[in-house]
Parts: sequence; C-alpha cells; structure tokens
Amino acid sequence: MSVYHKPDSAAHPYKDPAPLPASVPQVQELGTTSAPLKSAAFFIGAYCKDYNDDFMLCKGENRDPAHCLKEGRRVTRCAQDLITKMRENCLQEFDKHWNCLELHNQEYNHCRKPERALNKCMFEKLGLIKTIPGSPEGKTPIHEVKNPVYTGVQK
Amino acid sequence: MPPPGGFQEIRYKRNLPFRGPSGAVILAGVTAVCAFGFYRLGLGNLEKRELQRERVWSRIYLVPLLLAEGDRDAYRRQQAALEREKEIMKDVPGWEAGKSVYHNPKYRPAESIVVL
Repeated sequence: MSVYHKPDSAAHPYKDPAPLPASVPQVQELGTTSAPLKSAAFFIGAYCKDYNDDFMLCKGENRDPAHCLKEGRRVTRCAQDLITKMRENCLQEFDKHWNCLELHNQEYNHCRKPERALNKCMFEKLGLIKTIPGSPEGKTPIHEVKNPVYTGVQK
Repeated sequence: MPPPGGFQEIRYKRNLPFRGPSGAVILAGVTAVCAFGFYRLGLGNLEKRELQRERVWSRIYLVPLLLAEGDRDAYRRQQAALEREKEIMKDVPGWEAGKSVYHNPKYRPAESIVVL
C-alpha cells in the first residue's frame, strides 16, 4: 500500500519518475542557472520577443499547462538558440558578466563594467540591444549612466 | 611731568583671539552640506527606481521561459497522476479518471498532496 510521506519532513524530495508522454515532442531543457539567465535576460527578451509574446498570450487564454506546450517548446528552443549564439560569439564577456553577477548578489549595478563589454559585443556580433521598457524618455538609461550614485558595495 | 615722548598708549581694546568662523558661516556651511546631501539623495532615489525597473524587466523577460519549463513538468506530473488513477480505479465501474469535481471547464491546479 502507499504510505503518505509529509513533504516537509520527508528525507528525500518526491520525484515523479514518469517521463513526458511520447505524444509530446521532446525538447532539451535549457538547464542554465540563475546568474547566466539574468545576464542574458534582456537579450532573451529582445531576441525571442515574438515567441515570448505568443506564449504569454496563449497562457492568457488558458492557464492549463497542456494548452501551451507547443508555444512553450518554441520559447525554450529560441532561448537555447540565443544562449548557444551568445556562447559562440561573446563567450568571454558572457562568462565574465555572469560570474560577476554570481559574486555580487545578482545585482546589475555592481557589474556595470563586464556588462558594458557584453552589451557592446552583443550589439556588434548579434545586433541585439539591451533596452529597459518604461525608462524615462530623454534620459540616459540606467545601464549606461557614467557616474551612478549606487555603485558597488564597499569591502 | 610726563616722560619724554609722552605716556604709553592706554590699551583699551578687548583682546579676543580668533575662535573659528562665525555662526553665520557655520550655518551656511551646514546648509550647503545638507543641500548637497539631499540633492544626492534625490538623485539616488531616481536611480533606485530605475534599478528596480531594470531588475523587474529582467525577470519579466525570463517569465515565459521559466513558465514553459514549469508547464512541461506540470503536464508530465499530471499525466503520470492520471495513469496512476486509471490503474488504481480500474475495477470501479463508471469511474472517469481525471474528471473534475467542479462543473466548470476552467483550469484548476491539482491538489498539492503527494501520496507515495
């Protein structure tokens, strides 16, 4: 018989061993950790805009996980594509930036130097620009400010 | 009779040494420092707002990706639970596995109890 294990006091987290049904096409999960994702976030937003919007509109129709599997696969494939391209073209800058984020509490404002190098490389090689929607018009966007008030933490 | 050359001058002026800038100057200085500080504070507040915007948008851009991955996993678990239910309830006639208890087609997430 099955026994109930309290999830909060169980020795091992419960893992469902059943694989995805064969009727659903398999897609390689991205598997990227938080810092590289945060480093690449604005480029994912720029590069995969169509797929992301499509997916979110689909989710708006229906929250059921089964409803948007196709759009979701497209989103993941697009992100995969972008990360691969980033690694091919700007590996050094990318690594530097996400390592910096990892070491600085994942705050963008503590890692402007590697970020600028990465942004420059991404623009030159892939033509992707980091834009923050909703920033006040006519002002320098926060990631390009030369002398910010909030800089790194004193050590 | 006075001595030749006259008497010594009478020292009647007060002899007070210079004891730092006057109150007005200190007040002006403090005001200036405070004004500069508040100016920086204002700049910092504006900047903080933009940093928060940047942080929020970096997350918003990742939402579809994370949601898609989570959805695939949720779907996999759903299907597995359905299979289990079918297996357990196969002897009960008229049992519909995975049938909602609500008369509403709206999607509801499954109850989060895990039975091992």
